[in-house]
Amino acid sequence: MKFNIEDLPILFPYPRIYPEQYAYMCDLKKTLDAGGHCVLEMPSGTGKTVSLLSLIVAYQQYYPEHRKLIYCSRTMSEIEKALAELKALMKYREEQLGYKEDFRGLGLTSRKNLCLHPLVKREKSGAVVDARCRSLTAGFVKEKKDRGEDVPVCIYHDNLDHLEPHNLIPNGVWTLDGIMRYGEEHKQCPYFTSRRMMSFCNVIIYSYHYLLDPKIAERVSKELSKDCIVVFDEAHNIDNVCIESLSTDITEDSLRKATRGAQNLESKISEMKDNDSEKLMNEYAKLVEGLRDADEARQEDAFMSNPALPDDLLNEAVPGNIRRAEHFVAFLKRFIEYLKTRMKVRQVISETPLSFLAHLKEYTFIEKKPLRFCAERLTSLVRTLELTNIEDYQPLQEVATFATLVATYEKGFLLILEPYESDTAEVPNPVLHFTCLDAAIAIKPVFDRFSSVIITSGTISPLEMYPKMLGFETVVQESYSMTLARRSFLPMIVTRGSDQVPVSSGFAVRNEPSVVRNYGNLLTEFSKLTPDGMVVFFPSYLYMESIISMWQGMGILDEVWKYKLILVETPDAQETSLALETYRTACCNGRGAILLCVARGKVSEGIDFDHQYGRTVLCIGVPFQYTESRILKARLEFLRETYRIRENDFLSFDAMRHAAQCLGRVLRGKDDYGIMVLADKRFLKKRNQLPKWINQAILESEVNLSTDMAVGSAKKFLRGMAQPFKNVDQEGISTWSLADLEKHKEKQDEENIRALQEAQREAMEGGAIQREVDMDEFDDDEAEAGMMELDG
Amino acid sequence: MSRPSKPSLTDNPLDDICPVCKSNRYLNPSLQFLINPECYHKMCSTCVDRIFTSGPTCCPVPRCGKTLRKRGFHQAFFGDLKIEEECDIRKRVGDVFNRRQEDFETLRHWNDYLQDVEDLVFDLVKGSAKTKRRAEETLEEYRVKNLAVIEENKKAGQEAASLERQREKAEREAAKQRRLAMAREEEEEKMDVEKMKRSALDRLANSNEDANAIARQAQKGILKKTSARRTLTDAPTNESTTSVRDSGLSIRGLKKKVAPVVEKEYDPFGGIDLTPTRYILQDHYENDYLAGFVKGQPTAMTGGYSLHEYYGRSMLEAFSGLGVFIEDEIASRNQPAAMATIKAEARDDVF
Repeated sequence: MKFNIEDLPILFPYPRIYPEQYAYMCDLKKTLDAGGHCVLEMPSGTGKTVSLLSLIVAYQQYYPEHRKLIYCSRTMSEIEKALAELKALMKYREEQLGYKEDFRGLGLTSRKNLCLHPLVKREKSGAVVDARCRSLTAGFVKEKKDRGEDVPVCIYHDNLDHLEPHNLIPNGVWTLDGIMRYGEEHKQCPYFTSRRMMSFCNVIIYSYHYLLDPKIAERVSKELSKDCIVVFDEAHNIDNVCIESLSTDITEDSLRKATRGAQNLESKISEMKDNDSEKLMNEYAKLVEGLRDADEARQEDAFMSNPALPDDLLNEAVPGNIRRAEHFVAFLKRFIEYLKTRMKVRQVISETPLSFLAHLKEYTFIEKKPLRFCAERLTSLVRTLELTNIEDYQPLQEVATFATLVATYEKGFLLILEPYESDTAEVPNPVLHFTCLDAAIAIKPVFDRFSSVIITSGTISPLEMYPKMLGFETVVQESYSMTLARRSFLPMIVTRGSDQVPVSSGFAVRNEPSVVRNYGNLLTEFSKLTPDGMVVFFPSYLYMESIISMWQGMGILDEVWKYKLILVETPDAQETSLALETYRTACCNGRGAILLCVARGKVSEGIDFDHQYGRTVLCIGVPFQYTESRILKARLEFLRETYRIRENDFLSFDAMRHAAQCLGRVLRGKDDYGIMVLADKRFLKKRNQLPKWINQAILESEVNLSTDMAVGSAKKFLRGMAQPFKNVDQEGISTWSLADLEKHKEKQDEENIRALQEAQREAMEGGAIQREVDMDEFDDDEAEAGMMELDG
Repeated sequence: MSRPSKPSLTDNPLDDICPVCKSNRYLNPSLQFLINPECYHKMCSTCVDRIFTSGPTCCPVPRCGKTLRKRGFHQAFFGDLKIEEECDIRKRVGDVFNRRQEDFETLRHWNDYLQDVEDLVFDLVKGSAKTKRRAEETLEEYRVKNLAVIEENKKAGQEAASLERQREKAEREAAKQRRLAMAREEEEEKMDVEKMKRSALDRLANSNEDANAIARQAQKGILKKTSARRTLTDAPTNESTTSVRDSGLSIRGLKKKVAPVVEKEYDPFGGIDLTPTRYILQDHYENDYLAGFVKGQPTAMTGGYSLHEYYGRSMLEAFSGLGVFIEDEIASRNQPAAMATIKAEARDDVF
């Protein structure tokens, strides 16, 4: 399908387009033209990715700037999906245009997923693969090889050096599978191919972390130019990603390992001093001159990077007291010892970085400035010492990163020391949380650097919360509703059981037998009437466990068992994936199943229950966060102090976005249908915080239901859905062919013209009445003349 | 601030046994280890009481031989006693080498200085007996040489620290105030809503209007009020936060300004330079008249008569007319006057 938005010709790879897709594209174009940021919410399962890609690719190819697209997604499977969509789009474009465009699209993921080296790829943990890969591909390994030493190298990586550096892989879109196959054929490393080709491709698709985590972003995404278009898809959790990327936890165990790492470093240094002191001297000389020179030597194989150091600091020289290798190691040891001592405290402490630094200085005479350079200095040292078994130094690096962060940021961070895991624990297991409270810190460089950042998701309501929390301004902020030819999903709010007792997962009543029984009845009733799959979400693992055991006592599970298989999500990923597999089988063979899972667990994010896999989603209770957590409390306080967001507003926003995410799991397209039940009396007031497309679909008559009423309307809905539904019915309403689109455009144009005319008329009114009268007379004359002619 | 309050068994069994009396934390849970910064040998508090109560004695650890006093014993801050020792040394060195970055012209010099200090510390901590002695000597030498500077820097450091503390305190206070204000606001809002609800109920009970209309009106009123309040509270509190921040900044700025003013001398002439330009006043002039009776006669000087004053005055008188050309000045004074008269005449012509 080919059409124009304003002057931009767009090739859309499907014969039909949804109205909301068209609106989405129009707003996207507006944003790109204006050169600003935007937040867009589009219902899940309405082809967000394909409309985004087709518009941006068209934009790239049509305008002479050829702005690059950086598409960030959350999980591997989403990256794969986007790559596949892009590939299909480019194929369609080629067919339509009749020639192959000069275009390259690549995906990037971790080494673990892309490694081809026969020994390394067998490793299971991602960290080990990274470390082993580095030990085979680092710059000094190659130097050693050139010198004739016998060191193991990776043939796949070294083959890349024989190719032209800007043309490691031919044009086209490469899915992850595709690039693996190409790498195997040509014996070249897919990971480094992608990494090195990043500055030469039109579209890059990778995970959030490559852009948000300052530890990685500095290395991977450094060369991207300013006019790139950055898209964060599935971005409803982006603030948490930002926060996680800057937070670290330090445990006693990691400190012990870090000490060992420091000792190893010390012995390596003395070894090197005896054998090859020249290298150390060289490094020292470089450091005297300033960090930048050392920075130039940094390559993609550097084992870590500085977390978000300001640029002016990078230009400065390393402080004199950590310039020498042995001084620096002693410095690290002192810092680690200090942390160990702090860990011995048996009460909870929360303090600001400033007071931490003051205390640190009082006892160890460590100043702020050398602390700031810690991570950078360690990188340089590790490179000089040519260490290969880098995984041993991981804890040490964590400590160094922590040191740098704590000395760099005064505001927006908090140190919390929790000596016991829980309030009742007897054996201490201290953890020092260094938590970032401000999501804006991590994402700020992205907004500063790129002119257009697009944040989009299926559930990102309320829209104004995100710009507030992340500290940016939007050009366009839009939420689209879903156009439907028939009512294909039924959202309901159940507030009472059949016995009129209100149900709620509020802390005071959640374990009351009447509430539990009513939830149980709800489950039984819906398991009876739902065909195939049904998904139930609980607010937490703890509550799920307690309610399941109570249901077992009440015989509810036995009742449900008659109709459906019962499966449970657990914190263990493998168990859960096994449960999911069984669930799918049961849904497909007609037995039907219920999956009990947690609103913040793995299932609620990124696993789709389309068609028969999910006909009902039941949200038991409002999925609030665990409010007693000290980290959450600190963050709430920070949000209130800095962004004027109230605690309750934030908590309810956070709960509702998770609830919406759960609800969105069942509806993955326009031919899909499903029931969404929100079972808690508190949902009644929070209804407005649901995404527009869900909120609009809730009828007033289905807001305050008891279980039996809900069952009644669900039965009616399912009966309606069972009627045959032809695609023809949708046409012109929820799907547009080209003709429909043209019609819509004409209508819009007309409306625009009318609006313009109206505005004009209003402006003219008053002074120009006289002239209008004249015109009218003239018109009449002319019309008369025309009539005469006709007669004649 | 945060010393380990309750000792408990640690992972390393050696950390739980007193090396002197071999008593065990397992048997004696209140075991506490002390060290003396003379030799950093660890022993339990019972041993310290037992050995040193009767006066200074040798350290019980074999081949140590240092004489210790009970007074010197204290708890170690660090688990690793080597680090404890190092930090004590650092404290000593830091008290002497306490220059700040502002004292140096370039960053490079400052860094070199830092490295030198670090080298010295390393010599003191890890060096052989000889290097240690040499380092001690350097330290002492530097201390004696730069006593004044050290004192000054110490004072400056303390001042900066106290300033920092004050700022932090002020910030905390401001945050507390903000929090209180916000809590009050919320309380008020709740009260307001409550009041509106009650009045609506009253009206429902007493008047004969349509019940639905009243309910709707009340709902609207509450909504409007809360939203208005929200926008209202948003605006002024933002202002207040900035103003609070401003005041914090200005306090900092003030202190900084005060410091340079103190250093500058007060100038009563407001910058006018009174040193003569055409001559140089000498300390002594050959003069027979003065040499005759003033010099060397205490009777002439006791009244406050100063020869320098006299020299200055007479020199000023001698040179005061030079460089002033009266004709030129008169000419320049006359010219504008003449112009003015011409103009006046011209104007006269018109009439």
